[in-house]
Amino acid sequence: MLLSAITFFPLLFALLVACIPGSRARVIRAVSLASSLIVFGLSLVLLAKFDRATAALQFVERLPWVPELGVSYFLGVDGISLWLVILTTFLTPVISLGSWGSIAAKVKGFHVSLLVLETAMLGSFLAMDAILFYVFFELSLVPMYFMIGIWGGARRIYATVKFFIYTMLGSLMMLLAIIYLMYAHHDTVGVFSASVLDFYKLKIPFVAGSFINPQTLLFFAFALAFAIKVPMFPLHTWLPDAHVEAPTPGSVVLAGVMLKMGTYGFMRFVLPLFPEAASYWAWLFIFLGLIGIVYGALVAMVQPDIKKLVAYSSVSHMGYIIVGLFAMNVYGATGGLYQMLNHGVSTGALFLLVGMIYERTHSREIVKYGGLAKALPVLAILFLIVTMSSIAVPLTNGFVGEFLILMGTFQVSKAYGVVAVTGVILGAAYMLWMVKRVFFGPAGELVENTGHPLRDLSPREIVVMAPLVVLIFWMGLFPNHFLDYSKVSIEHLIETRDNYQLTVNPSEATDVARTTPRSEAGK
Amino acid sequence: MNMQLLKDIVIVSPLIALFALSLFPVMIKVFRGNREPNPYVTLFLGFMGLSLATGLTAALSGAKQTAFSGAIVFDGVTAWMSYLVYLITAVSLMLSFDHVATKGRQFAEYVFLMLNSVLGMIVLIMSNDLIVTFIGIETMSLCLYVLCAMGKEDVLSKEAAFKYFVLGSFASAIFLYGVALIYGTVGSTVFPEILEAVGTLISTNKLFLIGLGLVTLGFAFKVSIFPLHAWTPDVYHGAPTPVTAFMATAVKASTFIAFLRLFNSDGYGDAARFQGVLEWLAVLTMLIGNVAAVMQDNFKRMLAYSSVAHSGYLMVGLIAAGFGSNFNAGATSVVFYLFSYSLMTLGTFALVAMFERAENTAMSMDDLKGLAGRYPLLSLSLAILLLSLAGIPPTLGFFGKFYLFSAAIEQDMYWLVFWGVINSVISVYYYLRPIVMMYMTDDQPAEVLGAHLMTRMTVVFTALLVVLLGLASSPVLKAVQRSVVNLF
Repeated sequence: MLLSAITFFPLLFALLVACIPGSRARVIRAVSLASSLIVFGLSLVLLAKFDRATAALQFVERLPWVPELGVSYFLGVDGISLWLVILTTFLTPVISLGSWGSIAAKVKGFHVSLLVLETAMLGSFLAMDAILFYVFFELSLVPMYFMIGIWGGARRIYATVKFFIYTMLGSLMMLLAIIYLMYAHHDTVGVFSASVLDFYKLKIPFVAGSFINPQTLLFFAFALAFAIKVPMFPLHTWLPDAHVEAPTPGSVVLAGVMLKMGTYGFMRFVLPLFPEAASYWAWLFIFLGLIGIVYGALVAMVQPDIKKLVAYSSVSHMGYIIVGLFAMNVYGATGGLYQMLNHGVSTGALFLLVGMIYERTHSREIVKYGGLAKALPVLAILFLIVTMSSIAVPLTNGFVGEFLILMGTFQVSKAYGVVAVTGVILGAAYMLWMVKRVFFGPAGELVENTGHPLRDLSPREIVVMAPLVVLIFWMGLFPNHFLDYSKVSIEHLIETRDNYQLTVNPSEATDVARTTPRSEAGK
Repeated sequence: MNMQLLKDIVIVSPLIALFALSLFPVMIKVFRGNREPNPYVTLFLGFMGLSLATGLTAALSGAKQTAFSGAIVFDGVTAWMSYLVYLITAVSLMLSFDHVATKGRQFAEYVFLMLNSVLGMIVLIMSNDLIVTFIGIETMSLCLYVLCAMGKEDVLSKEAAFKYFVLGSFASAIFLYGVALIYGTVGSTVFPEILEAVGTLISTNKLFLIGLGLVTLGFAFKVSIFPLHAWTPDVYHGAPTPVTAFMATAVKASTFIAFLRLFNSDGYGDAARFQGVLEWLAVLTMLIGNVAAVMQDNFKRMLAYSSVAHSGYLMVGLIAAGFGSNFNAGATSVVFYLFSYSLMTLGTFALVAMFERAENTAMSMDDLKGLAGRYPLLSLSLAILLLSLAGIPPTLGFFGKFYLFSAAIEQDMYWLVFWGVINSVISVYYYLRPIVMMYMTDDQPAEVLGAHLMTRMTVVFTALLVVLLGLASSPVLKAVQRSVVNLF
């Protein structure tokens, strides 16, 4: 029941918030924050009870949903999804508190959207039934669509519709692939099933070097959906638009968690379901990932808008994760997973800080700043710390992730490694250059202007940033506190990738047998 | 009187009930010297007719029965689709009661026409013989022609009725010509005999193929499939909105069932070229419907084109049923989709009806601006209905598409499904536009809508059902599956 509670509590709280009159903004904010903290507490219970010695699926819940087609309500958690769940539940209260400054109108609608979005994101990470996963995956679009469209900037409608349609195109192809797999399971085993665990057992025919064979097509159908979500070069064009137009909390959710749904999809579905195709086409994805790293960094360098710069840095960082995952060794995969968390924390923090600057000056143009460090010392220090994490300075979390990914990449090929390393250098260049132009040097027009006094961070804003900064160092200094939980699962994924099987934790197996639906053969 | 005739009459008793009750309002009007009876009484009598017919249908449902020497068949699908049509009609009557164009002076006649149109639909659903099918189509359509013209002062309404009438007669003639050719080649108009002959005749006898093609075209007109879809936007736009809601849902549902019955044969398996033609029609229907809908500013015309597109999706299921190896799976998905499509469409048109305070007004997208501020519940409901039409989970619309695409993938019709997906993506664009208008434009107070209690309830309840039945689609699917298996 724990996983269901974690997944659906936000939805229940959203209904609760919806019942509060819209004029009581403070009550709404408090209730929303409290509820997201409760969910975070529940996820800590999950963390405490999690058995890190096994790669099997834990806390399994399974009920028939559409037994006619073998679709079930099937939740489970393993070392791959565990930290993403925690990341989601951790970031939501931070975002909730952070939104107090940036979301002034229609507060109720915003918090309802945020909580519904949390349910959708958690559901995507926990669902072990492909159709259930698809439902959550798509459902997450709707609240995000409203967030960008209602509270966004001037071109918000263009951005939000583009975001929605782009993502939808990819995921519908995935839906077809899922349906195909359901019938493939029916043809080989005789019963319908949409369980990912059952999909792993399928042997899907693969022909190297040709497109028209089941495994390659299915591989690309899934990969397209996730590549758009990540987003990988050249499918990334929706991301800068969405980020620039989204309100600060929307950007944080988008960068912090929603992009991870794509990389998680690669880890959960693409790599283990289609091992031959994934190995055969790995070069393509590494290649595109590397282009993303370098291209994202170069484009970020020339951005006049801070937020757009951070958005393109996301493209670059997500490129690392893709390269790490498709390196297909333990280093790369571990680094990929770790970098997902890092990116969530540090890019989330960057967006929050950019939002805080914007709230003070209502501009994000880099040229209008300069010397901000004198006016806002606390903000400048925090910004510097987060920048260090983003450019992977040792002792911060970013270093661990990128180092692991580069280790994995060098194992595959030195050439790949060299290109990836240039990305690290470029990343340092554009971030530090931006920091220099915004925080140091002569005071810019916005900083000079005494018309609107610049106040440094309020206690609330410091509370928002504190957990993120703590995590940046914690994850940088003691990566094992985090990676120990995922180690077994990742090793299991990489070592048995050609014949990946995921079992349900034996101690829960009896329970599962009782609740497993009688699969109905035929129709 | 012999027993067989009595049994036959019992089977068609829902029709008799409908007809009898439909006479009451007009009779009252006649006996009161052409004074309109109390509209509540009229509405009540209309509901009485529908519930009586529903009750009789429920009492009769069970094993498959045929009547009138096999010309009428009563099976699971008959019962299911009858319920659906009765439900749609009840809702449409409620909308008409609130609506400016249809309430008032001629409500008694209106109810009479509506119930008789339903009668035609039920005949169509029950028919097991091409001649009976034709009678069903004609009864249904003749009433609809008049219903379209019920807008008293609306010029577009008259134009719509005339256009629909002329083109509809043309389509009926095509249909009838097809029936004649089929009769000439098979020697019978009863479905079982035709379906048995399909296997041998379809590849050898050109005349039979032409006949089949013409019959298909006749159906295609009624459900607005390319290239016979051109009337749809004008007629849907011109007709009073409750009538449009009725046409867009009930006509489609009943015609598609007759269409399905014609495809219940293994014989089509060899007719690859016929299948190819139908596939192209499906693809073009979807494309034209969706692309044209993208360009509309008039909300009602947008919905009209969207209904064309949905016919295209339904064709995908129909082709999977007729030309694949598993008729039941395809038929189940079509019936389920009709059910989900009807619910969503009814709710959406109900909202359109609320915006029409006077005749000769057309609701444009801009009218929706700022609606969310003033009417949060209505806006949320419309948003849900539109997302469901776009097929976003976990709504009923998603599951409708899911089952439809599943049925087609089972038959390896990837090409068709691919187009279905591309079209779903296109459709998202125009289904999102009203949501943008309601929620994301700069707030300006929306129009004040009339009270329209029943219309409002329709919008909210359909939205609620769309979500609830989406989450619990399995029982519905199971019921549809059972009805399909014990059928045909």
